[in-house]
Amino acid sequence: MSDVKTAPVEDVRTDLDESVAPDRPWLVIVWNDPINLMSFVTFVFQQLFGYSKEKATKLMMDVHVKGRAVVSSGTRDRAELDVYRLHEHGLWATMEQSG
Amino acid sequence: MAFASPIRRRRDGRFSVRLPAEVRTLLGSLAEQMVPMIDSDDPAATRLFPPAYIGEEADDAEKQYRKLVDGALHNHHHQAVSTLAETVNADSLSADELSSWLSAVGSMRLVIGTRLDVSEDMEPPVPGSPSESEHAVFDLLGMLQATIVDVLAADLPDEGEPARAL
Repeated sequence: MSDVKTAPVEDVRTDLDESVAPDRPWLVIVWNDPINLMSFVTFVFQQLFGYSKEKATKLMMDVHVKGRAVVSSGTRDRAELDVYRLHEHGLWATMEQSG
Repeated sequence: MAFASPIRRRRDGRFSVRLPAEVRTLLGSLAEQMVPMIDSDDPAATRLFPPAYIGEEADDAEKQYRKLVDGALHNHHHQAVSTLAETVNADSLSADELSSWLSAVGSMRLVIGTRLDVSEDMEPPVPGSPSESEHAVFDLLGMLQATIVDVLAADLPDEGEPARAL
C-alpha cells in the first residue's frame, strides 16, 4: 500500500529489483575527490538541490573533511536521477540503501 | 590595483568574456582534444563516468545504471566541449553557454588532474619537469572554474539568508 502512495508519477521503470525492503530510502553519497574545487562543489549542491549556501557549504565541508556526505535521499529512481545529475557535474556520487 | 574578473554578468543577462587570445587558443585546443577522449578507454577519461553503485552484489545494478545513462552522459560531455569550442572566441555568452563552459572546464580538470594524479597536499611540480606545463594548464583551468562559479553562484537564490527589513 505504502509504495502506491509514495511512488512518483514519473516512476515507470520496472526493470530494477525493488523486492528487497522497498521502504528503506536510498541515500545519495558524494565522495571527496582532490580535483573539484570546494566552491564548485558548494555551487553544485545549491544548484541541483536548491540548498541554501549555508547547508551546501556544510555538506561540502563534510565531503572534504569526513570523506563523504549524504546529500539527498528518496526512492531508488529519485536517487539514481540525483546521482546522474551529480555525475553530469563531475562529482563522485554513489547510492546505497539505508539501514 | 583592482583585479577585474574576466567573466562578468552584463545588464542584459549575458556574460562578457575578456580572456587573452592565448588562453582562448588553449581552451579551443583542449576542447578539441576532449572530443576523442570522452569516448576513449583512457583511464583518465573513465573519471567522467563514475560508478553509481559500489560494493559487493552491486554489479547488476551498476550494469543497469550504465545502460540507462551512458548515452546521455556521453552526450552531455560532448555537448559541453562542443559549445566551448564553438564559442571560445566570443565576447559574450548566454547563461546556458557559460554553464557549458563550466561543465567542459570541469571535465578537462578531471581528465588532466587524474592523469597528473593530483592530490590535496600535492607539492608544486619541479621547475623544468615534464609535467610542469600540464600542471600550469590544470591550475589555469582551476582559476577559470572558480571565476565561472563565482559569477553563476551570484545568481542563485539563497534561501538560507533571512529576508531583512530595511
